[in-house]
Amino acid sequence: MSVVTDSPAHSSGSDDFISYLNDALDASSPDSSADEEAETQDEFEDVSRNKRRKLESTEETEGSTSEGIMEHKLVVAESSVKVDVCTHPGSFGEMCIRCGQKLDGESGVTFGYIHKGLRLHDEEISRLRNTDMKKYLFSKKLYLVLDLDHTLLNTTILGHLSSEELHLLNETDSLEDVSKGSLFKLEHMHMMTKLRPFVRTFLKEASEMFEMYIYTMGDRPYALEMAKLLDPQGEYFNSKVISRDDGTQRHQKGLDIVLGQESAVLILDDTEHAWMKHKNNLILMERYHFFASSCRQFGFNCKSLAETKSDENETDGALAKILEMLKEVHCTFFDKLQGDLVDRDVRQVLSSVRGKILSGCVIIFSRINHGALPTLKRIAEQMGATCLMELDPTVTHVVATDAGTEKSRWAVKEKKFLVHPRWIEAANYFWQKQPEENFVVKKTTNPL
Amino acid sequence: MFFHIVLERNMQLHPRYFGRNLRDNLVSKLMKDVEGTCSGRHGFVVAVTGIENIGKGIIRDGTGFVTFPVKYQCVVFRPFKGEILEAVVTMVNKMGFFAEAGPVQIFVSNHLIPDDMEFQTGDMPNYTTSDGSVKIQKDSEVRLKIIGTRVDATEIFCIGTIKDDFLGVINDPATV
Repeated sequence: MSVVTDSPAHSSGSDDFISYLNDALDASSPDSSADEEAETQDEFEDVSRNKRRKLESTEETEGSTSEGIMEHKLVVAESSVKVDVCTHPGSFGEMCIRCGQKLDGESGVTFGYIHKGLRLHDEEISRLRNTDMKKYLFSKKLYLVLDLDHTLLNTTILGHLSSEELHLLNETDSLEDVSKGSLFKLEHMHMMTKLRPFVRTFLKEASEMFEMYIYTMGDRPYALEMAKLLDPQGEYFNSKVISRDDGTQRHQKGLDIVLGQESAVLILDDTEHAWMKHKNNLILMERYHFFASSCRQFGFNCKSLAETKSDENETDGALAKILEMLKEVHCTFFDKLQGDLVDRDVRQVLSSVRGKILSGCVIIFSRINHGALPTLKRIAEQMGATCLMELDPTVTHVVATDAGTEKSRWAVKEKKFLVHPRWIEAANYFWQKQPEENFVVKKTTNPL
Repeated sequence: MFFHIVLERNMQLHPRYFGRNLRDNLVSKLMKDVEGTCSGRHGFVVAVTGIENIGKGIIRDGTGFVTFPVKYQCVVFRPFKGEILEAVVTMVNKMGFFAEAGPVQIFVSNHLIPDDMEFQTGDMPNYTTSDGSVKIQKDSEVRLKIIGTRVDATEIFCIGTIKDDFLGVINDPATV
């Protein structure tokens, strides 16, 4: 190859290192370009660009002949060209985070909640998820995505407070020491927020089993304010607060911007239809309506908790029950499942725990609203119950809204349980079979 | 890198400011308009140090505003690719860390952090070497090399690396 004979290295020899370098650098300058030397020049440009790497390799071969150096230089130039090709794992301000090149592609997912302008591409996201997975599984932690409104707290606009709730304006807790209070007035946002009872204990105990994220349909300033109220020290949700501005789809929440494997994520939310793609990871939460505006939003005409000056039970409320259930799922995942940690799937654990709630129950429905029936059947079957269409001696529960129907009277006669559909919904929310005596059906029609 | 350069700008002044204090009003308006802005060519204008020349004002037709061409000296900050900078770490996470050198936001991805430094999570997330001798956490000072810059209307973004020789932590906040 002409390269070998034309190179200055060949002429200068291995000991004249400085002149060799000078020659190499001079060759790459514009005035020394010629057609014959074009090939050589490209190599020398590679050489000067990776001068440091080449320096190391030529130092090693200093004792050998100049030809030896030449071959080594060719090898180094080729290998260094390969290393330079960057996979562009992500971009910050539209520059690749690894090589600094300008990227204008739209591939990848924006992670604006971590820092403005940060985008990560798909291979990088999967790589991060995998390394994270191993680390968290070793420390026995799964992921938990928490919704804010009606799940952990209830917020109302100050202008929407009903007349019977105005007394709350004088009962708000100080914003200086947030860890003691639960009712906060946020003047600059014209809002008042009430944290759900038991939420602080819940967060503290859940943080030992889960890596927690906040995912809300509110905007980013609201999400950050709420995170400050729930987590004043910044120890649970540091740069893990996702708002609707960060989601990739409108009106839908997704796990694509959560840096955790889907098989290890649990979601706690009161709205099922926001998580259409991840229903198997979802734990549905009973809504928390403290303020009247929240009750009215969902069409309830009863008095709100604030108006009746009462609140959910602290140790026996929804959060406490869900915490027990989360502990059970966590324990089952880590201690009772067989196989490699990475192959286990928390969704399977969830469905098996869910399937035990009403196992052994054989249910038949009577006079249920046609629109609600399919959902009710589905929920009951997910919880392990068997749903029949016809009366049968194996039936254990009759679910009806009216105690006067034929099936209801049969239930009373055969000493079977006669319960209101809310018995099924309560089991779904509390993850436990509820005592049937609390869901007695009243007679609405006169017995024939 | 900081530069001390002369820039020119056409300032529009409302007639209410005319009078004895015309020049002072013009200078204070200039400072309010220009300090803290960013341009692709000059970078971030840090401070106006002096006025070199104020030209004759031209009255605009239609409105009563008068346009003065003002030449002023200012200190600008512009990061360059390949430059070595000292920066203060603002946020550490599993993807790397974010640092600030004045108005410039720099991101050092974990691909460009030496392989012997591992990410430790916790309430003070940090990158530590295996023997624990070197730690990068919030408020650490690091020396890094810029490998890419991008200038926006109000901000400058940079990508940096600490994977080369002589780069990394200068000052450990825990020991200070």
